[in-house]
Amino acid sequence: MDDIDAEQDISSDELDSSERAQRPSLPLKSQRDQETPFETGFHRTARICLMKIRESLFQLQWQEAADYMSSYFQTLEDTTSGRPQLASEIIWRLGTEILHHHPNTNLEDFNSFLERIKNTSVKTYLEVCLEHSFHLLLNGKFDDAKRQLSIAESWRYGKQSASQEHRIKLVQAYRGFLDYFTWSAKKSSVSGADDSDAAANQEMHNYFRQASVSLKEILQYPGVWDPFVISYVDMLEFYGDEEGALSVLKDYAYDNRFPSNPNAHVYLYQFLKKHKAPEKKLIKALQILHASVPSHELMLELCSLLLQTGRESCFREALTVIFSLLDYSSWKDNLQAWCCMRDVLKLLKRKKLTCFIAEEWESRASWWPAYHFRTNQAKRDFEQSPDLLTAKAGVASALTGRKCMYCMWKNTLLNKAKIKRIKAAKRPLKGRRRSERIRAERIRAERRSERIGAGRSGDRSGSGGAERSGDRSGSAEIGADQGGADQGGAERGGGGAERRSERRSGRGGAERRSERRSGRSGDRSGSGRSGAGRGGAERRSGRIGAGRGGAS
Amino acid sequence: MMDEEHTRDYRAQCAQCSAVDWGITDEGQFYCRSCHNVIERTQEVVDTSYLVNSRISTVSKKTRNKTKLEHGRDWLVCEGFQFILRQQADALLALGVCPQFKDDVLCNMWRRYLQKSRQAYTRNPVRAGRFRLARPASDSDSAPESLGLSDFSRASESETEGEGPSRPSSASASASASGWSSDGCSSVCSGSLDAGAYSSSRETMTLMTMPRTLALCHLGLLWAREALTLSDLLRFVAEGHVPYINAHQAFPEEMKLYGRDIGVFRVESIPSHQSVQQQAHKMAVFLKLPAFPPITPECLLHPSPLSLRYLMEANLPDELHGWVRKVVKQAGIGQEALLTYDPTGRKAQLGSYDLQAAALIIVTMKLLFKLDDQAEWTLSKEADEENDRENRIFSLLRWYRTVQPVLDLARGREEHSLARQTWKPRKPLYPSKKEKSVVLKRRRVVEQLQANFQKLSGSAPEPQRCPPSSFRFRWGEEEEEGDLDGPSFQNQSLDRALRQSGRKSRLSNPQYWHTALRTCDPWHCGDHFAEVEPTLPGTYAWVLGLFSFLLGVPTARVHAEVCRVEHRLVENKSKRKRKRPPARRERKRKRRRAASSTKTTSA
Repeated sequence: MDDIDAEQDISSDELDSSERAQRPSLPLKSQRDQETPFETGFHRTARICLMKIRESLFQLQWQEAADYMSSYFQTLEDTTSGRPQLASEIIWRLGTEILHHHPNTNLEDFNSFLERIKNTSVKTYLEVCLEHSFHLLLNGKFDDAKRQLSIAESWRYGKQSASQEHRIKLVQAYRGFLDYFTWSAKKSSVSGADDSDAAANQEMHNYFRQASVSLKEILQYPGVWDPFVISYVDMLEFYGDEEGALSVLKDYAYDNRFPSNPNAHVYLYQFLKKHKAPEKKLIKALQILHASVPSHELMLELCSLLLQTGRESCFREALTVIFSLLDYSSWKDNLQAWCCMRDVLKLLKRKKLTCFIAEEWESRASWWPAYHFRTNQAKRDFEQSPDLLTAKAGVASALTGRKCMYCMWKNTLLNKAKIKRIKAAKRPLKGRRRSERIRAERIRAERRSERIGAGRSGDRSGSGGAERSGDRSGSAEIGADQGGADQGGAERGGGGAERRSERRSGRGGAERRSERRSGRSGDRSGSGRSGAGRGGAERRSGRIGAGRGGAS
Repeated sequence: MMDEEHTRDYRAQCAQCSAVDWGITDEGQFYCRSCHNVIERTQEVVDTSYLVNSRISTVSKKTRNKTKLEHGRDWLVCEGFQFILRQQADALLALGVCPQFKDDVLCNMWRRYLQKSRQAYTRNPVRAGRFRLARPASDSDSAPESLGLSDFSRASESETEGEGPSRPSSASASASASGWSSDGCSSVCSGSLDAGAYSSSRETMTLMTMPRTLALCHLGLLWAREALTLSDLLRFVAEGHVPYINAHQAFPEEMKLYGRDIGVFRVESIPSHQSVQQQAHKMAVFLKLPAFPPITPECLLHPSPLSLRYLMEANLPDELHGWVRKVVKQAGIGQEALLTYDPTGRKAQLGSYDLQAAALIIVTMKLLFKLDDQAEWTLSKEADEENDRENRIFSLLRWYRTVQPVLDLARGREEHSLARQTWKPRKPLYPSKKEKSVVLKRRRVVEQLQANFQKLSGSAPEPQRCPPSSFRFRWGEEEEEGDLDGPSFQNQSLDRALRQSGRKSRLSNPQYWHTALRTCDPWHCGDHFAEVEPTLPGTYAWVLGLFSFLLGVPTARVHAEVCRVEHRLVENKSKRKRKRPPARRERKRKRRRAASSTKTTSA
């Protein structure tokens, strides 16, 4: 009937089948854009008006879009069957967008607009309510947002409410999520005061009960519920129910009904690590993560864990892990990864296990030199940090022999720098000042590179925010502020990472890998959900929170 | 039902969803049926235990109220159309049509229609069984005696059925009341008395429809020989100067419109030029109208003056008009007998004068400039070289550069106004009483949303209407005041396109091209424009587009009309050739062959 419904079908089907589907064909040009032979003047007006609204939205002319929009409202009165329903959805989505960006809007306009929209379409009532509460959250109206969700929860409309069961579940889950925030606020205030006030404690427990009931409920249904899981586990941990928390996380990670979600394994690993689980378990959790996201930042930890075991098979695995990590262009100039690689190679050489290296190298011999060890790459690495250059040169010499171009360039570059340094040192006072400045710059550059290397998480949360400043998926944003900093923003970060990877895959050197890279490197930052392959659908579902089709 | 009785008087909007649909809970509290919001108001408890009769009195009161409030006065569909026609005629008078148009022409046509369709002025009314037809609300016409208009006197007497107008029997109050109540009880309900019968009738030809009001207006204008062509009429309709969209909004308060009436009076599109023309022809045949007043060269609908008007509109030099006249003469289009519309004729056809005039201009331009993407640019280059400063000689290139941006702007404006066109009436039409509240609520929501967004922009709620004008563009010199679209080319000469030989001037372009002129069966294939279009020269296609925009018709129709004119030219030429031995005329430049190839050349 309409492409928006069709989209929803696609996304829910996709989640149902719980396996990676093909990228859905994007409805770029829908049927409605074309003129039909027996179109009435009214429908023609509606079609042209919609086209004009789209045009002005693309050109960021909000005023013009608002003008056209006020003419477009008459389509709600269309008497053709099915059209008003479609029109109300179009008006809802485009109208929110316009109101969101228009310079003259205030919150009252927004509220009254959404109230009207809720009355025009029962089918999208719950979605509008959810979005309304997100918008209120964005504006800092926590209590209003909660009230919106309660209204949506108590909404009843004949068969409509029955058919929208899973939407109601989602609404309830979000309500529980907001309860969790209240709970954590109370928690901090209670723990702040020395005397445990019984009444305050009681109130806090009440919130815990409310939140845990609805959060537990939503976790029964397959779906991507990252923020909910995190908050639920946090509460369980607080009350000392570690077993329960562990089982929740295990279900979330290992249940086959759920769509594959790398974050689930990340959470499980972090929980295990926090509670000092044996190394074996940690390795197991990370091994699963490695299978789905070989470019994840936790792979460095996996590598070091494997090396600690001291077993030959583990050495071999560590080698595979670090090799596949460096296959991805996003790790190309990461000092830590290259140092790790150098250490692994050294260790294997010491243990006389060079056959492993040869096996791994076999498939990469054709493209790694061009991919990593080029002359201009060496120059760039040197500009970034000489240490990186040294580490990479060590790896290059181990893999391709001492006479490779990269090593030669390393020597020249380092020598040049050395000469410069000596010259600067020989110079009188005036020159020395300059040399000091150079040294200071170098130190600064090193620090920067360290930050890039170590502080991946900072990068990630930044990308999440940058994707769309102040968007509707506000709850997730707030999750990033109040809840565990990375986990809450995880989903949005995924979106950002996807986008980044798309951009990056364009310039990647090795074409052979580029496809896989664009599919995976998004998850490198640990925030992404598996695969940009789902791109459009994911981002869409992100809009109403943690995936929608899950509950069905 | 019980609830309705009690909540009827409470018409306030719900605070939650702004609907007016109240019910009463078991506790006697009011609640909104659309959002289930319970409000403070409670039912006024009436103790009915000791007053048994109260129910009856309420019911009778309710019926009376309803009859008065919701039903309004009894009226017939044809009365509604009469009202709309009167409004349209008034609007046309305000636009400057001669006053006889309304009272003498359109009014008589309408009466003739009523008589022919046996709705009035007849002893044998069409729906005598069900309703007695009420006398048409006589707003302007007090005496229907003067039916036989002097103009119509040529119509054969035998055709008119009832000689003297049968007095429309005044519908007795009881009859109409019973008619109403029977209608009101059945599911088929409408504001007018006979809308149900109207929409189920099989005599589709005799029924009035909204597009047919325009057809009737067009016929009236044609009869009055007004300089208002059909494309003008449709443009005024689209711009809102002639009431058509939601014309029923102006009905008097007592004429309630709902139910089946919607199908009759709702307008969701403006009919096309072609369809109105066809409807007008059918209508003229149905009304058995006699031959229309002749179109003489003085009349403004004659191709010669009309083409002058379009020359001005398209900013082409006046000198071109002389050549257009020559083409008119050559093609034999200017004959009175050919131009005058006579619906009684066997192969009668209602011509479109506007299209014909445009086609004549295009043919003339093709003669002078060839329009084959080469010759016209060479000519304009020469003209530009000769011009230097004065701008005395017409250059097609400069003309194109002047008109093109203006045309683009105008197209954008038209699209803008089309996108912002309001189609839905302020007072909504509801198909049945059951849906009334839903429809009203939706209307309210739309209005609130509009107010919401208009507050954002702070703009005028309705797009501003431009004042009515026959011309879409204004061309003139810089000194003139007012906002002009660009410089005028009116007084430029065609020196480059013509070559002087002795006292006579000839065209410097010796060639003429045209598309295939074969005529095909209109039943089997419509037009071949889509096939030909990619092969047409760009300039020609652009000129077609210009005129198609000016007239508001598809490009294909302009092209078809051009072909028709060319066909006539060729036909006349060959006829003359056969008749007379070649003389000096033969050397005239308009020599062409009726070959089916796209391009023909002659020395």
